[in-house]
Amino acid sequence: MAEANNTTVTLQVHRFTPRAERAERARGGSPFARKSSPFAGGSDSATRRRPRGKQWVQEYTIPARPEDTVLDCLLAVKRTVDPTLAFRYSCGHGMCGSDAVSINGTPTLLCTATIRDWVKKPIDLPQVDDEGFRHIGSGAEDAINGMGEHEDDGSLQSEQSKPTGENSSLGVIELAALPGFPPQRDLIADIDPMLNQIRKLTPYLEADGVLATTSEGKVDAYEYLQHPEQLAKYETLSNCIACGVCEGACPVFAGGDAFIGPAALIWASRFVNDSRDVKAMERMDAIDTADGVAACQSVRACSRHCPRGIDVGEEMWQIVAKVRER
Amino acid sequence: MSPKRLEDMYDAVIVGAGAAGLSAALGLLRSPEIMDLKEQGVEPKILVVSKLQPLRSHTGSAEGGIAASLGNIETDDWHWHYYDTIKGGDWLVDQDAAKLLAEYAPETVINLERQGVAFSRTEDGHISQRRFGGHTRDFGGSPVKRAAYAADRIGHQILHTLWQQCVAQGVAFAEEWYVTDLVLDENGNRVAGIVALDTHSGKTQAVHARNVLIATGGAGRLFHTTSNSWDLTGDGMALVLDAGLQLEDIEFVQFHPTGLAHTGILLSEAARAEGGILRNADGEPFMERYAPEHKDLAARDVVSRSIMAEIDAGRGVPDPKDPDGPKDCVWLDMTGIAPERMAEALPQVVETIEQYANLDPVKDWVPIKPTAHYTMGGIPITTDGEVYRWSDGRRALVDGLFAAGECSCVSVHGANRLGGNSLLDACLFGTRAGRTLAARIADNPVDSPMADESADESLVNAADQAAARRSDELNDLLNGSAPAAATDTDYGITNPYQLMARLGSVMDRALAVRCSAGTIDAALSTIVEQLEPAAKALHAHDSTAAFNQEITAIWEVRHLIELAKVMLKASEARQESRGSLKRLDFPERDDEHFLAHSMIATDGAVALQPVVITDYPPKKREY
Repeated sequence: MAEANNTTVTLQVHRFTPRAERAERARGGSPFARKSSPFAGGSDSATRRRPRGKQWVQEYTIPARPEDTVLDCLLAVKRTVDPTLAFRYSCGHGMCGSDAVSINGTPTLLCTATIRDWVKKPIDLPQVDDEGFRHIGSGAEDAINGMGEHEDDGSLQSEQSKPTGENSSLGVIELAALPGFPPQRDLIADIDPMLNQIRKLTPYLEADGVLATTSEGKVDAYEYLQHPEQLAKYETLSNCIACGVCEGACPVFAGGDAFIGPAALIWASRFVNDSRDVKAMERMDAIDTADGVAACQSVRACSRHCPRGIDVGEEMWQIVAKVRER
Repeated sequence: MSPKRLEDMYDAVIVGAGAAGLSAALGLLRSPEIMDLKEQGVEPKILVVSKLQPLRSHTGSAEGGIAASLGNIETDDWHWHYYDTIKGGDWLVDQDAAKLLAEYAPETVINLERQGVAFSRTEDGHISQRRFGGHTRDFGGSPVKRAAYAADRIGHQILHTLWQQCVAQGVAFAEEWYVTDLVLDENGNRVAGIVALDTHSGKTQAVHARNVLIATGGAGRLFHTTSNSWDLTGDGMALVLDAGLQLEDIEFVQFHPTGLAHTGILLSEAARAEGGILRNADGEPFMERYAPEHKDLAARDVVSRSIMAEIDAGRGVPDPKDPDGPKDCVWLDMTGIAPERMAEALPQVVETIEQYANLDPVKDWVPIKPTAHYTMGGIPITTDGEVYRWSDGRRALVDGLFAAGECSCVSVHGANRLGGNSLLDACLFGTRAGRTLAARIADNPVDSPMADESADESLVNAADQAAARRSDELNDLLNGSAPAAATDTDYGITNPYQLMARLGSVMDRALAVRCSAGTIDAALSTIVEQLEPAAKALHAHDSTAAFNQEITAIWEVRHLIELAKVMLKASEARQESRGSLKRLDFPERDDEHFLAHSMIATDGAVALQPVVITDYPPKKREY
């Protein structure tokens, strides 16, 4: 981030702080209450896991250039304004898949989203005041720099720093946790439901299972042969980084157990299409269920922002067709 | 995913879930000893604890390849790989370890394939291989295609495949737990377990274990310009220092020649392997002058130093994103690579350049700068993964403590690692460490009805005491009552993120690619006088413990500072230039005094351990 630039961006962040778990403390008193009931519903049910706490919207206006990523800006917020803002991030260049969030309502990765592509110019119309009048002649900037409710911590006051006269605002970007998953804190969502669905579908190569050993510098087994055209059938699928963007975009997956989700199906399809795997039929049986391929409604919202460039919707279509034809 | 409830005692806890940690878990569970136990109905109690969800591990960012003399494209021999590894490491390589690395590399790569890695293929269906810097035929002859690859996403493929196999094996994970303490018994000779912060609940817990394996990766975040993810904060190395143990050869940090200008994001060596050429401000392909034979594919330290020499001579260019900034980059010219080949073999490199530099490598030259990439040194281990202390001229094993991967130093990389050897090291020595663990577990498994638990009580007490201390500290940090909280603005640093950025700049200035006693001393005094007090004074700005990232960041930056001091002191003590360490005040290699591993603990005193030299005596290193 260059310090000398004179443009700013306003990040409008939907924040959430969980309340300390009261239930657990109460439970601590009785050893008999410790075990959960065997009749309780699945632990992945989104409603059961949704924690309670405090929600508010907080705005940060910071220097930024159009080519900066949203992650660059959030890291600058942590460094210079508010170290309490929580969001996952790791590699910073679209490979680890940890930083899927909702940007302006669309699931995508923080580290691949640039300000240029995502900033919304504030509407030029001034806001309506208490008496129903629009005041003209004053900048719209004041309106977008207004603070949301925030914690009454004195150390956070610096976040109100407004752009100086020379600074011009690039606009506003709205950030929230990845939709379709229970929020945990600020932009962090619980994506375990997705990983659990992936795990359920035996996401590992099943072949003869023999591994090579070495004796006197020679190996006693070789690689499975696979021709480039066989590799091409699943190579793109194998690039999925399990970030959850497609799941957050899917209206069927959102908020329930009705659909195992596009990511789990992509993983299943990856092995169905791998010439080395010997369980294609069993894999297709496993997804030929009401919450499997039958639940996909071909909305294709899943394709739009896949950071690995997988046309998820088309791949769904292909695997549905394959399951039907078997 | 986290355990619903911790076991009272674990057979083994593996810290870190990248290639090394997952390979260790698999090596352990697939060993004959553990399979026997399972047949007898005894379940090994294993837990993999990781700071990140395992699929986020930095292994996934490795791009270029994994080295093995498969000979799928052209004739190759593991002895050549063995020699290249030693020469690449400037003869600071333990040859017994490098021999294992080269000899077992084909097995390792074939087994990755047999577990599911989607390697790129030759027309006849074999694993495809490409050239990589420093890999040659006939003991230093012409370049050889030795790096097995999967387009430019080999790390992603390996990480996902290993995780998938762990799912198949039912491995238990504690995800997004940050390990704060490695606990030894009161004599410091035996492992007792770890203390970890469950970041979801915000609570610290003791995890009791008879064996612990550390596989936490590198420490690239010591530097501002780094290819490493934000999580590579040297935690495992710092844990070992905190426990009173030593690090080996920690002064050797590899700067990858081609970081994307000021972002530090890696552009794989494959870009040069496929025909990319480095050019200076005059457009001159300057590597011809520095390495006449291997040119742009000389070993990484050679290329990085050549780039810095061009920049120092005024032939650098500014990052086009910051045209008025310092001329601290050179060009990577990929325009000679056919566009179709570029799309097929380098999709990730192209995407990174387009996304983060707004350039088209088919027609534009790309600004690059050396970026901190890999720590050759680390936790000293035997070739079976056992951690030891170097004392009184011998290796004394720490009972039950293991390490693998980048955080460790079995010394196959010596003073400079060859491309393609890091994934190999992590997978191969990770697996070996897992097998050694298995044999130890089989001797006295926790779950066995005949288990000997006599030693457990003292281990449990040691871990519980450490956990109680850490819990108190956590409460202080959360409630802002750190002793020096009032003075925390002395150096204008109020949070760990600022402090990490400051430390990165200090370390860049002091050690990036080259250093001298002057740069080292300046950095040490800044750290001791300013950064360390600032780190002690840090406290969290919010008192909710759950998902409080600032708490983790405070502990991370303290780990980094501890490690930075040790790295600077080790660099100061090595008064020669070897491999990645370029001392401007001692420009030559000095085998008479420094053909030895440096062993350093927090006190800064350096002991020297002889290098294991069995087959190839030291020679001059030229490319």
